[in-house]
Amino acid sequence: MSRIPHYLKERIEEINKRALLYNYEVHTLPKWEKVIITWIALIIFWMIVSASIEWQNILVGTIVTFLVSLLMYDMFTNDIRRKGNVIVKALRITFLYIPQYIFIMAFRLLESNLKVLKHAILMDINPGIIKIDSDLHSHTGLTILANSITLTPGTLTIDTVRQLDESKLYVHWIDIETLDRTKAGQIIKGGLEEWLKNIFW
Amino acid sequence: MVEEYILVSPFELVLFIVLFTSIILIYRVIFGPTTPDRIVGFNTISTKITVVIAILAFLKNEHVLIDLAIVLLMVNALGSLILAKHFERGDTR
Amino acid sequence: MIEYLFLLLGIILMISGSLGVLRFPDVYTRLHASTKCDTGGAMSILIALAMVSEAPMLIKVKFLILAFLIAMINPMVAHAIARGAHKSGIKPEGVIDVYARDGF
Repeated sequence: MSRIPHYLKERIEEINKRALLYNYEVHTLPKWEKVIITWIALIIFWMIVSASIEWQNILVGTIVTFLVSLLMYDMFTNDIRRKGNVIVKALRITFLYIPQYIFIMAFRLLESNLKVLKHAILMDINPGIIKIDSDLHSHTGLTILANSITLTPGTLTIDTVRQLDESKLYVHWIDIETLDRTKAGQIIKGGLEEWLKNIFW
Repeated sequence: MVEEYILVSPFELVLFIVLFTSIILIYRVIFGPTTPDRIVGFNTISTKITVVIAILAFLKNEHVLIDLAIVLLMVNALGSLILAKHFERGDTR
Repeated sequence: MIEYLFLLLGIILMISGSLGVLRFPDVYTRLHASTKCDTGGAMSILIALAMVSEAPMLIKVKFLILAFLIAMINPMVAHAIARGAHKSGIKPEGVIDVYARDGF
């Protein structure tokens, strides 16, 4: 590496990093874990929708959901980040991350509803469309981020542009406070993006 | 043997208020300046009808109606998505 | 007792959503009122129903599944309608429009 000139070194590092991002399929979960995660989720959904606990029903549901999860294992679990032990990570997602998300979103939703009531009565609006950045670049993570932004106070996502190094979101803001991209991103996203980067790419 | 249909529980009151708000929204469906306005009003009314069906399922003790509400929600979302895809070509009629 | 509090909150949010849809000036601001207040009001009424219902446990969970589906589906539909309305040439109220400046 010592023979390479200094001005090329940064360029090579950048290309290496981008190549690592391009084949991030190496760092996703192996196939059997994807199948098992999809199977468990589908069994829970079957039990709730059919609403009976007889053993024939559960047997039929187990067989059918196993066949479905063999076909569709790539759909929901392709974007989950692989880091650490599987069981520890599954327990942490179930008992730490999802209650945290529900707790955050419940209070943001209540605040946004009261804000809409205030705007509807007083009509003090100053709308416009702005652009913010995001570090996520997977389909599932970007979709959940856009839907959460729609439910937080005063903002509505209009379009997303998905790129590998930086994604962009176009947000309709009902009462514009700032035009700076990083400052607006901090106000709009809050802690949601750090939360999503624990699980998704 | 006579069933009384007077407002006895607060859930029936909630049912009538939700129906009243959806009747107000018919103004937006009829007089909306553009077609997306009409779609917004229509979609909001459909979500309120979903809530009304869930309240009826609780009041009448017919739990099959909850499945009906889930199916209505999904079909409504599908219809709105098809209409929104239709707008993207630039034809607003 | 707490379920009637949820019911009252749901009624207030539903009425404020209808008021917003009637009073706001263009499509995008109307979508704000429609999406947020509808989602919040429907979720609080369904949570109250799941609390007060005397059905078995698996049927109570169905109300919560309905609330979860509303919270997942409603923002997606709003996003699709806003994007379609902007691409069909409806100008938003206000001066700042980065989305039209970037050439979409």
